[in-house]
Amino acid sequence: MTAHADNASLSFNPQHPVPHTSHLAHPGTPLLEARGVVKRYGKFVALHGVDLTVQPRTVHSVIGPNGAGKTTLFHTLTGTTGVSGGTVVFNGHDVTAEADHQRVQRGIARSFQVTSLFANLSVRENLRLAAQGVKRAGAFDLWHPPSGARAHNDVVDGVLERMALTRFANQTAGVLSHGQQRRLEVGMALAAQPLAIFLDEPTSGMGVDDLDEMKRMIRGLRDDYTVVLIEHNMNIVMDISDTVTVMQLGRVLVEGTPDAVRRDERVRRAYLGNMITGGRA
Amino acid sequence: MARLGTHFQLLLVIAVALILPLVIRSGSLATEVLIYAIAVAGCNLLLGFTGLLSFGQGIFFGLGSYTAGILLTRLALPLPLALLAAVVVGALAATLVGWFAIRQRGTYFVMLTLAFAQMFYFLAYSLPTLTGGDNGLLDVPRPPIAVGGLELMALKTPWQFYTLVAVCFVIVFWLLLRVTRSVFGRTLLAIRDNEERAAAVGYNVRLFKLAAFAISGAVTGLAGAFLAIMTGIAPLSSIEYHTSEMILVMTVIGGTGNLFASVLGAAFYVLFSDWLSTLWPRWLLLLGMLLIAVSLFMQRGLWGLGERLWLAVRRKPPADDIDAPSATESRP
Amino acid sequence: MNVYLLQVVNGIGIGMLYFLLAVGLSIIFGLLRFVNFAHGAFYLLGAYFCFQAMQWGMNFWLALVVVPLLVAFCAWVVEKVLLRHVYAQAHEFHILVTVGLALVLQEGVILIWGPLGDNVATPEALQGVVMWGNFIYPKYRLFVIGFTAVFALALWWVLEGTRLGSAVRAGSESTEMVSLLGINVFRIFSLVFALGAGTAALAGVLAAPIRGVEPFMGIEALGIAFVIVVVGGMGSFAGALVGGLLIGIVQSVMSTLWPEGARLMIYVAMAAVLLLRPHGLLGRG
Repeated sequence: MTAHADNASLSFNPQHPVPHTSHLAHPGTPLLEARGVVKRYGKFVALHGVDLTVQPRTVHSVIGPNGAGKTTLFHTLTGTTGVSGGTVVFNGHDVTAEADHQRVQRGIARSFQVTSLFANLSVRENLRLAAQGVKRAGAFDLWHPPSGARAHNDVVDGVLERMALTRFANQTAGVLSHGQQRRLEVGMALAAQPLAIFLDEPTSGMGVDDLDEMKRMIRGLRDDYTVVLIEHNMNIVMDISDTVTVMQLGRVLVEGTPDAVRRDERVRRAYLGNMITGGRA
Repeated sequence: MARLGTHFQLLLVIAVALILPLVIRSGSLATEVLIYAIAVAGCNLLLGFTGLLSFGQGIFFGLGSYTAGILLTRLALPLPLALLAAVVVGALAATLVGWFAIRQRGTYFVMLTLAFAQMFYFLAYSLPTLTGGDNGLLDVPRPPIAVGGLELMALKTPWQFYTLVAVCFVIVFWLLLRVTRSVFGRTLLAIRDNEERAAAVGYNVRLFKLAAFAISGAVTGLAGAFLAIMTGIAPLSSIEYHTSEMILVMTVIGGTGNLFASVLGAAFYVLFSDWLSTLWPRWLLLLGMLLIAVSLFMQRGLWGLGERLWLAVRRKPPADDIDAPSATESRP
Repeated sequence: MNVYLLQVVNGIGIGMLYFLLAVGLSIIFGLLRFVNFAHGAFYLLGAYFCFQAMQWGMNFWLALVVVPLLVAFCAWVVEKVLLRHVYAQAHEFHILVTVGLALVLQEGVILIWGPLGDNVATPEALQGVVMWGNFIYPKYRLFVIGFTAVFALALWWVLEGTRLGSAVRAGSESTEMVSLLGINVFRIFSLVFALGAGTAALAGVLAAPIRGVEPFMGIEALGIAFVIVVVGGMGSFAGALVGGLLIGIVQSVMSTLWPEGARLMIYVAMAAVLLLRPHGLLGRG
């Protein structure tokens, strides 16, 4: 059972959250290994046996045209939906049969493509809930209000600062602008102090100003976390990724470094043009 | 900071318990207000705090009645034990029903609670040796509270019994206030707001809902027991659909924003029905209309109405209340 | 005659009525995504309007057509005047409005016709029994089976074969798409709600000669409709049929084995189905 959460609150530095390599099961081996993941919805096959290997402390991007199955893959990796076949091994544990709330305890956290926050609760409360969520035993406290240590203010304040949301701490999440909400989405994942963060199109729908800010934030994440990223913005993908997996129609097309992927002929064909180069040569 | 602090609500609750005897002449009517206030608070824990619309509260109410009735008539157990047993039976039944119903969401869940309510009704009906069937359990005694042979508290007169119920009412409310303000309670609110998100940040949503059900069942069972002991009968009607329906009506009319509103809802219904049912037997028609009106125009119930008046008087915009998200805002 | 065969046939008769009761609820849910808790009240109205009509001398056959249409019309008005305003609210309030409506209708019935029940006469042409060798069976009950079967086919044809039906089925997938296609979604909502209420009322009319009328029959009908929908699967036409027949037969057979427990067994059967198949026998996930 991972004890990362308890240690973190003692040594949490808002500028530089505790890296969790010390809690990796077998340093040197992949943090996440998905083998032959199949997902069927009735007769429709969304994933046809996908393999994915994510090394610790890397940024691993998953890209592909619409309908490639990227979000579905995310759902199976984070436990939001179950698999119809295949296995998912995270940090040495077979989590294939585990639900999302169980995988959170393992150190997996995610953000959603379509913003999904606690819209009627304050930003601070949103983050507190996310911070509390990994501390399973404490969540069932029927007696004490979430004040003092139970407010997890150290973690929450750190995330607020990191995601530039401190001004909005007491605002209801639902009244934030779209860009601010997307940042909160990422913040929710950070508050869980995970081993791996899964970000599903974190910049979707963002305007130009918010975009640069978010890019800077995601780049900052790579120092402390393993990041698995779905993105359409090739600027970000090519800039910060260590590995890129290209998907198409439920299968992995190509996997490799950003340069290798950029040059791959199959990828160009899949994207019908040079969208993948992000406009740069 | 929440607008209605725990201490303030507790003070209000104590005030109600003290004021009722001054305002209501009948001891049993005053007791009835408090009994239903407890049941409505249990229902509100599910509806207002967890977002679960349960048509099954009558199950736990009725089972609490029967448990107390059976133990007092057949086994002559001391009163506190009978009450405790009713609490336990209520909690267990709620866990059972909850386990089945929680597997579904939204309206499917609601339908299941109603179907289970009917099931328990027919169960009670078809076991007349245990429940008295159509007639119910009669001659439920009201023994004094005694330890050893020493009588601690007589419960003969209506106001003596009121005292016991009032003390329990305050204690139960205090406990529920703590629960709704606790880390657990805040998680329930989060589940009510966005279940998928709650699961995605690590909460076992099913377990939380089940726990909420168990607490609700325990509290509702206690209320049912009190009613049986007060009236001397554990009737079949306590476990009928109508009881579930009325508890829900009281919850909604009172308001789902906070626990004290449950006292308002119960008081309104009990006093209103007592006054009106002698004037016009079809007074439920008006209640139905009121329910429609509340659903259309006054979703925050009587409490919400009071809030709006208060704010209009003070001419301030409504502040953000973390503890009581508006029931009108549709969830994602 | 074999007692069990008799009960099975009875069960089919009850089952067809249950199907009729449930199918309207299922369709309404499929499109409007909420459950009408006044559904039992429309069943009640159907039975009582039929009773009153026949008191006034109308014959049963006319009542069979007029009453469901009348109740459907009332439901159509209710949807426009009341329900439409509540769609924007949280789903609890959709339900509660219909609960309030059911209460009002039930009390209204008691106000007009009194708290005690009454009998409804079987139409003359269908009185008596049919005899085929060893098989003796009341004519009216056979009529109920036949009539509901024909009606079920007609309803299925409307849903599958006509443009309205397609709009309803498409609407249950995505109301946005349907409205983008230029179809007046709100009008379809009203129609579907009225259709659901009409089928409930029809069930009430058909049940009246068998069960009589009684103000609290609406609540029991509601519970049973829920059981059928849960057992058969929400939103499934075939599920309502399968569920109805299954529950009808269970109830009927149980009434010879354990009469007091017959109605209880309906709900126990439901719990059993739920354990094995949480979405009902023919429900989608």
